[in-house]
Amino acid sequence: MTEPSSTSPLPRPLAGLLGRIGRTSLLVSEHAGQLGMLVVAVFMAVVRVRVSWRDVMRQIYVVGVQSIPIVLVTAGLAGIVTSQQGGYQFTGSIPLYVMGSVVTESVVLEMGPVLTAIVLVGRVGARITAELGTMKVSEQIDALYSVGRDPIEILAAPRILALIISMPVLVGMANLFAILAGMVSAQYTLGLGYETFFYGARLFWHSWDMFYSLLKSIAFGFAIPVIAVHMGLRTGGGAAGVGKQTTQSVMFMTLTILILDALFPPLFLQ
Amino acid sequence: MRAERRGIGEPMIEYRGVYKAFDYPVLSGVDLTVNSGEMFALFGPSGTGKSVLLKTTLALVVPDRGDVRVDGESVYYDGPDALERIRCKVGYVFQYAALFDSLTVFENIEMGIPEHDLRTLSQSEVLDRAWEALELVNLEPRQVLTKMPAELSGGMKKRVGIARAIVGRPEILLWDEPTTGLDPVNTAAVERLVKQLSDELRVTSLLVTHDVIGGLEMCDRVAMLEGGEVRFVGTPDEFRQSDIPVVRAFADRHAAHEALDVLDVS
Repeated sequence: MTEPSSTSPLPRPLAGLLGRIGRTSLLVSEHAGQLGMLVVAVFMAVVRVRVSWRDVMRQIYVVGVQSIPIVLVTAGLAGIVTSQQGGYQFTGSIPLYVMGSVVTESVVLEMGPVLTAIVLVGRVGARITAELGTMKVSEQIDALYSVGRDPIEILAAPRILALIISMPVLVGMANLFAILAGMVSAQYTLGLGYETFFYGARLFWHSWDMFYSLLKSIAFGFAIPVIAVHMGLRTGGGAAGVGKQTTQSVMFMTLTILILDALFPPLFLQ
Repeated sequence: MRAERRGIGEPMIEYRGVYKAFDYPVLSGVDLTVNSGEMFALFGPSGTGKSVLLKTTLALVVPDRGDVRVDGESVYYDGPDALERIRCKVGYVFQYAALFDSLTVFENIEMGIPEHDLRTLSQSEVLDRAWEALELVNLEPRQVLTKMPAELSGGMKKRVGIARAIVGRPEILLWDEPTTGLDPVNTAAVERLVKQLSDELRVTSLLVTHDVIGGLEMCDRVAMLEGGEVRFVGTPDEFRQSDIPVVRAFADRHAAHEALDVLDVS
């Protein structure tokens, strides 16, 4: 971009600031437009039955099944920490059966979906961006176009569908495992019996909470691969470009997860 | 004589005022025509837009202005069906082979067969086509079909890339520096292969290369791209006898050294 000329009617610092705002706006619009086009292209590929279900299943194995151990470990630790923090704060003032509700609601509404999403940003999102980015800089994406194949149908759609399908299942497993871990932790550290824990959990439970958790997981499961694919297909500049793009992609995915997470309560918990 | 043997005819690839800029203009209105059955070499210094021009032929890079026509159809103005037809007619050999590294050699070559052909071919016919393509590039199919690209040498990868480009039985072959990064023996082998395939398959070939000697030996016509513009188009003999300084610098090494001295490049 050109610098503001000396004949500009605006003072130089102001012109520079406006220029930066303009460039950033252009870049944001470009990303938004390309993301929108990617989503439409994937939707059209699915509608026109141009996506191989064998590829989707293969991706479900890679992004879903292979993520189960790390998701469960993270969820279990989150349940234990929630239980212990609650025990420390509740001692002597609030009935301990409330712990069942605190652990269950914290996990289902917040920690289960968000922690699973953050884990998948690192494990799956970064992998997708790096994989597609490497294919882009080594001309494999061009090679696909040259043989008349559409990378959106072959590479993007299976990955996006796989995570949309896998994410709710992973979040469901994470929720269950975190609650169980919190319950066991409460028994050992606070002497809270399982029945008392469940009593507290049921006392403040709303059926909507489960759907809320599911909705979050679907939103996160959509956002992560869409951003990862988009960033991967924009990669340029060799190995350094792949590294830079993967870092940026992880940053965008994490921010998007946290922004979506902040938008959910006013939209669905009022 | 080579031209007569292959039956050179009507314009097959036409670049019309192709303009492309990234941070700076790379192609500044390129006009060039490659005729049917012709073997055409495009020379030029590094970074002068040869590969970019080649990629505009299949819309792998979209020009800012201008058009490319292949076999009478516009790559950019005749719609997606025309582009699909064009891509089926063209085999593209990438500079570093660009093999899909998650697929076996067989699966890579299979990708070169147009989708509508794949729907009508049985699995054994697809295997036959892959087998035939590998034999044409002098690779032993039994040894390489099930291998992954990472298990192949540089020269073998290039050959598999060529096999993928020819397995769809294209009418046009685009070669993007097919000998880059190869040792002299493999370079000679690939050059021989380029010529042999272009003759045997009777295709139109557009070859982007730095290898002036090989290009002049193999091709019916050559062009020189420099500064985003076509500086020369003619036969190999006309190229050798040209007085244009940048052509002279490419045509003989002595002139190249003189050019470096004049430019004071150490």
